[in-house]
Amino acid sequence: MNAWENLLYGFEVALQPEALMFVFIGVLAGTVIGMLPGLGPISALALMIPVTYGMDPAIGIILMAGVYYGAIFGGSTSSILLNAPGVAGTVATSFDGYPLSKQGKAGKALAIAAYASFIGGTVSVIGLMLIAPLLGRVAVTFGPAEYFALMVFGLTAVVSLSEKSLIKGLIAAVFGVMVSLMGMDLQTGTARYTFGNINLLDGVDFLIVALGIFALGEVFVLLKNRTGASKQNPLGSLKLTRQEVRAIAPPIGRSSVLGFFTGVLPGAGATIGSFLGYSMEKRIAKDGDTFGKGNIKGVAAPEAANNAASGGSFVPLLTLGVPGSGTTAVLLGALLVMGVTPGPLMLEDRPDVFWGVVASMYIGNIILLLLNLPLIPLISKILNTPRAMLLSLIVVFCMIGVYGLSFNPFDLMLVLIFGLIGFAMRMYGFPAAPLILAMILGAIMEENMRRSLQISQGDWMIFIDKPISFTLLILAAVSLLLPLFIRLIKWVKKK
Amino acid sequence: MNQKCKRFTRTAGISAATLLMLSACGDPPEEPNNSNETEATAGNTEENTNEESENMENNGNEENGENNDSQAAGEWEPENDVEYIAPADAGGGWDTLIRTTARVIDEEELAPVNFAPQNIPGSGGAIGWAEVASHDGEAQPLFAASPPIILVPLTETSEYDHTDFTPVANLITDYSIVLVQPDSEFESINDVFEAIEEDPGSISIGGGSAAGSMDHISIAGAAAEYGLDASGVNYVPFSGGGEAMTNLLGGHVDVVVTGVGESTGQVDSGELRPIAYSSEEPIESLEEAGGQTFIDQGIDYTFDIWRGIMGPPNMPEEAVAYYEEMYAEMLETESWQEQTEELGWIDNYQSSEEFEEFLDDQFDLFENVLSEVGLID
Repeated sequence: MNAWENLLYGFEVALQPEALMFVFIGVLAGTVIGMLPGLGPISALALMIPVTYGMDPAIGIILMAGVYYGAIFGGSTSSILLNAPGVAGTVATSFDGYPLSKQGKAGKALAIAAYASFIGGTVSVIGLMLIAPLLGRVAVTFGPAEYFALMVFGLTAVVSLSEKSLIKGLIAAVFGVMVSLMGMDLQTGTARYTFGNINLLDGVDFLIVALGIFALGEVFVLLKNRTGASKQNPLGSLKLTRQEVRAIAPPIGRSSVLGFFTGVLPGAGATIGSFLGYSMEKRIAKDGDTFGKGNIKGVAAPEAANNAASGGSFVPLLTLGVPGSGTTAVLLGALLVMGVTPGPLMLEDRPDVFWGVVASMYIGNIILLLLNLPLIPLISKILNTPRAMLLSLIVVFCMIGVYGLSFNPFDLMLVLIFGLIGFAMRMYGFPAAPLILAMILGAIMEENMRRSLQISQGDWMIFIDKPISFTLLILAAVSLLLPLFIRLIKWVKKK
Repeated sequence: MNQKCKRFTRTAGISAATLLMLSACGDPPEEPNNSNETEATAGNTEENTNEESENMENNGNEENGENNDSQAAGEWEPENDVEYIAPADAGGGWDTLIRTTARVIDEEELAPVNFAPQNIPGSGGAIGWAEVASHDGEAQPLFAASPPIILVPLTETSEYDHTDFTPVANLITDYSIVLVQPDSEFESINDVFEAIEEDPGSISIGGGSAAGSMDHISIAGAAAEYGLDASGVNYVPFSGGGEAMTNLLGGHVDVVVTGVGESTGQVDSGELRPIAYSSEEPIESLEEAGGQTFIDQGIDYTFDIWRGIMGPPNMPEEAVAYYEEMYAEMLETESWQEQTEELGWIDNYQSSEEFEEFLDDQFDLFENVLSEVGLID
């Protein structure tokens, strides 16, 4: 059977009334859960497990997949409106989405997020359909050395995310790496930066930092500037001009592809995908310096990337049977309980599961778009909430979201601490994005560096000997040095 | 990032509550009952209607006094719903055990109350254990336990260890498996150990858990039994069996050690080849794939990845007796058999007393291996 016949077969499965109903329920539940800060796709999926008991595996996975990409789709809403990321994958969306919303262009930002998400999602389904079995093979060529090099490359984006002061950007980044190293070290079982506190043994969850630094930090700033901007932000038009469409089309295309491949790599996923997409566009764009101040491309790129990545993360799960992320690990568990073992054999044994879920993703993405666009004016009503109430509401949402991570009251104190840190950073002009980026990449970078050295028994040449890792390190060096060279050349020319 | 994401069923309640807040424009909904019961709140979301109706059925049975099974177990019976804890995230081994048993107990009506699964993740289990330990002398909560309840305290990251809790029953076991790529030069576990003997550290062995935890112990113990210095085992920890196997598929490590259950997909498809596993008796599917037990390869070594149920410190004896009886009954039911077949679990029932002795033996074994590897003094 070729891909086309397979897909038709998939639609046969996905268009059954039962499958249609559950894909609808799935994406609806996913969107709502994604909108609420802190309640991520994992909690949503975990909720679904008991529901799928006794269901046909194909229908069960269609439902759960819908919840997953629905959550990523919906996660942008609170990033844009409240600066409080709904899911980790949409943190990058708040960089430009929230400024846009402050400028009274919330409607536009939300609409762009919806279109970009739709396109990103669709691109990833096409990728999943055409090259999934092949890609599974490619994904495994990424070992510890390659991951280390990829993370180094990713970290060079700190430079472009640093805004005015590079030094302050680097300080923020180093702090981010330090936070990411908190907790028990996998290699030796040693506790690091835990201050003897058992609650810190697992480290600090990324969302706690993100909600603290962005959402609470913003609340504190608004409280301080009480007299300042007290007017309410209008929703603005949802319509995009032709120029705007033309501006965001290339970033959406590029970020969709980039996001998909990032998602395919086990361990990378939607969050890293969205950051890579964002920083890539910032570097490419001629108006790169307006990123972070409400550039529509800064919303389009991460939204396309994170949705594409969520589709891509199904590749290792469905073709190799190994989960690439916490979310897909829950999916794997659910599939096993339903009696399906994902892996290379699944394509032959249970084609209905593989092709059914692929086909359902087309349908799900369309439903998401149709569902979200009309909802925008309704949801944005939240902006008309009186200021005092809105601020309290954000704090409440953050607390609920953080408590929902592991039901540990200690986390509530942590998020407050990070809120204060975020407040101080804003007061003294430290950019938050490098901290967040470093926090995501730092731990993975360190873990894989030490894993590589463990494998090579301490020989650093492992990073040079492997072609992929070598190439990525060269790219990292180039991206750091190129701006310097350009400046040098300009300087020489002037003389 | 990777495993740090958490959460669970209580989220149901929270998300329902938050939803209600979001839809503030609608009629003020009835406040869900303020008990700590997740199920009560979760019942409000449409996804959970199934669960709710099951609950109602169960309550109905209780009223009608149809629960003959449980009456055979003795006079003591649980009065409130049982808090049933997986001290880890959703999706892992403990979580699957808790959810599967809760479901079988419910379906087969083995108890007059509900078993309400709950995840309390964090610190390799230590946060969940601390919660259970605070219920000294009570009949619940019950929680899922496996080798980490011994290993984590040994590396001094939990204030409580297995002797603080009451063993209720050991239920199932999985085994450790050693995998290589299909075209690997290693044909047997002895080939691997010989290579390590020649050049200690040269063979990288990936596993799905931190250094000093299950996978590491199981291979280091086998190496020690073979006569190797266990510190020559170059163990590379990954954050899950899946990740370890991906790295083996890509040729980044030479050997992987993980659980038999986790590797089913890869072994059945022939993508990875088993060379040894840690059960006492041969397992058919693994023999077919070319693997042999350690014992059959001349290494007198077995390793159980057991999973059982434990309760708070000083649990009342009648309660222990009730639950161990209930679990024994559960293992005989048809729905349990179906589940274990699908999940690849092997029944390994031990009563409270047997379980307790077994735990002490395990403690000695792990302590030996860990000090040999040099992870504890």
